[in-house]
Amino acid sequence: MLDSPTERTRRAARPRRGTATRLSSGEALQDLVRPEEGIISRRIFADAEIYQLELERIFGRAWFFIGHESEIPRPGDIIARQCGVDPVILVRDAQATVRAFLNSCRHRGMRLCRTDRDHATTLRCPYHGWAYSTTGALLAASSEHHYGPGELDKEHLGLIPVARLGSYRGLVFGSWDPGAPALEEWLGDMRWYMDIIFGRTGEIEFIGVPQVWEVECSWKFATDNFTDNFHVYWAHQSLVELGMLPSDPDFASHGHMVTLPNGHILHFVHGAPGVEAFQGMGLPKVLWPRFAQNLNPAQARIAQEHGYSAGTMWPNFHWLQLVTAGDMRNESVGILNLRLEVPLTPTRTRMYSWFAVDKDAPESYRQSSYQTYVRTFGPAGIFDQDDMENWEECTAAARGPAAKRYSLHHKMGIGRATDPAWPGPGASYADSYGEVTQRAWYAEWLRCMQRGGANVRTRANAHNGGGA
Amino acid sequence: MSAPARAVRGAEQDSCAPGGARYGEVLEFLYREAELLDQCRFGDWVALFTPDVRYLMPVRTTEFRARGEGFQPFAFIDDDIHSLTTRIKRLQTEAAWAETPPSRTRHFLSNVLVEPAPQPHEYAVGANFMVTRTRGDQGYQLFTGRREDVLRRIDSGELRIARRRILVDQTVITGTNLSILF
Repeated sequence: MLDSPTERTRRAARPRRGTATRLSSGEALQDLVRPEEGIISRRIFADAEIYQLELERIFGRAWFFIGHESEIPRPGDIIARQCGVDPVILVRDAQATVRAFLNSCRHRGMRLCRTDRDHATTLRCPYHGWAYSTTGALLAASSEHHYGPGELDKEHLGLIPVARLGSYRGLVFGSWDPGAPALEEWLGDMRWYMDIIFGRTGEIEFIGVPQVWEVECSWKFATDNFTDNFHVYWAHQSLVELGMLPSDPDFASHGHMVTLPNGHILHFVHGAPGVEAFQGMGLPKVLWPRFAQNLNPAQARIAQEHGYSAGTMWPNFHWLQLVTAGDMRNESVGILNLRLEVPLTPTRTRMYSWFAVDKDAPESYRQSSYQTYVRTFGPAGIFDQDDMENWEECTAAARGPAAKRYSLHHKMGIGRATDPAWPGPGASYADSYGEVTQRAWYAEWLRCMQRGGANVRTRANAHNGGGA
Repeated sequence: MSAPARAVRGAEQDSCAPGGARYGEVLEFLYREAELLDQCRFGDWVALFTPDVRYLMPVRTTEFRARGEGFQPFAFIDDDIHSLTTRIKRLQTEAAWAETPPSRTRHFLSNVLVEPAPQPHEYAVGANFMVTRTRGDQGYQLFTGRREDVLRRIDSGELRIARRRILVDQTVITGTNLSILF
C-alpha cells in the first residue's frame, strides 16, 4: 500500500525542444549540449548557474528513488533519505501505508528525524515539541494555550508530503511536482526491463543499510559512468592484470543497448560468442527455471542469455547486475547493486550503494553474493574505487574558463542502426560498446532543462530569458 | 577492556598493562605495522595477518544512544586473507588508478590498551586511530575511529593479526573512497 495523491492521467511527455534556455552569458543550453551530435560542453559539469537550474528543473520536478519497501518492513519503521536533494523521511504508518514527508517541522523547519533510522508511533520535534503521527498529522504543539483563536490551525499543519509517491516492484519513488505524470507512465516500458531485474525469481530484497560516501565530482560524471561499458577494460585494468577480468578488451561488448522515452537507458551483456559466461543473471542454476514462471517468454529469454546488466531510471538511480569474483581465486558470483547519486554542490556528490538479492536464493548464494559485492563495489570495492578517481579528475579539469569552451566526446555509435531482432521494447542497438545511452540521457537532461518552470511558482529563473 | 581498577591481577595482565613487557612488545608491533602502510610496503604488511583473519570495517549509522553505537552487520570492508591479498596485489599492479599515483598516508595510533584474550597466545588490543591522506595536490582527508584487534602469537614466537575491526566515526565516508588501508 502506498500513500499517493490522486493519480491524474497525463499524456506521456514527448522529447521536444522547448524554448531556448539561456545562461547569463547569453549562451543557449541547446548550443552547449547537442546530444544528437555527441557534443556535451564541459561547462555543464562544474557551473554554479547550471547547477541552480538543475535544482529547480530536474531535482524539483523529476521522479526520484527514495528507498525500498523492504527497508521499512514494520509499521512505525522510518528511514531518513532524500527525494531529489530535499531531505525526506520514508515511513510505514500504523496501517502499513508507505508515506514520505519533508524531514522538517512545520513550525521552524527543524529536522525531525535526526537518526538514519527510527521506529516510532509519533515524531516529536526537538525544538518546540511539535508532535506528528506517522500519517503526518500534527497531534500537538507546545504551549498551545498561549495561541489565540485561529492562530494554530493544526488541521493544515501536517508534515509536508512528497507531492507524488509511487512504487514499482518495491522500489519507492517520489516527485515534488504535483503535475508529474504517474510513476507507471513515467517509467513506461522501463517496467518491462525492471521486471527482469527485480522480478525474475519472485521478489528481491535490499540487505542491510546503504553504504554512503561523498565524492568531489559532478553527479553527472557518475551517471554517465553507469551506462558506460567500454570503460571497464581500462578503468579497471588492475583487475585485468590480476586475471579477474577477461584480457579481451571487447569482453563487455557482447550485448545490446536500449533507450526508452523519458531518458531511461540500459544494457544487457552476455559472453563472447562460444564463451559460456554472463548467463542467467549470474544466479545459481537452481533458480533459472523461475524465469519462465515469473516473466514473459521474451523477458525470460533475456534473463537466461545475459549475466550483466546496467540500467538507469532517469536521472540518478541505477541497477548494476554483474557476475564477478571477489578475489583472485576467481569464483564468479552474481551481484545486484543499486546506486543513487545525490548532488550536494555542482562538484560534490553523495553516493548511495545498496546490495540486493533474490528473496528465494539459497543461503549459500546470498552469503557469497554479499561477500563478492562488498569486496568489489561500494567505496572500498576493488572495482568501484577507481571510478571515483576518474569522476573527480574529470570534474577538476572542467572548472576553468578555458576548459568550459570545449566539449566532451560522446560520438561512439552515432550512426548505428537499431537491431530489430532484440525481443524487448525501446530502441535497441547491437554491440554494447557505444555512447547511444549517454546521448539519450543528455537529451532528456536538455529537455528537462529547457521546459521552464511551468509548475514552479516562483520565476527565479527569469534572468535566463527563456523558460516557461 | 574492563574497568581501570582491579583487585587481582595476574602476572600476564601486569605485563599487558602500560609499562609492561607485553604492552611494549604490542605497541612496537603496531607502530611497525603502521610504518609499513605509510611506506606503501603492502606485501610486508599483509604478511602480518593470519590465514584465518577477518578484516572488517562495518558501516555505521546514526542511532539513538539506547540503540548502541550504530555498527551494522553490513560492511564497507569485509575481507578474508584471500581478498585482503587481492587488494594488495591490485595496488601493486600500478594500474589501480585510485592509488596510482599513490596517496600519502599517515597512521596515528593512541589510547592503546592490551588484554589477554580468552584464547591462549592471543591478546585483545584496542586503539584509537587517526589516518590522514593526501592525494595529488588536494588537501587532507581525515579518517578517525577505533580499532579492535586480536593479535596471536604464532609458533615462531612472532605476533600476527588474527582479527581487525575498524570502527569508523563517520556514517558518511567523506574521503572519496576507501582505497587506503587501516
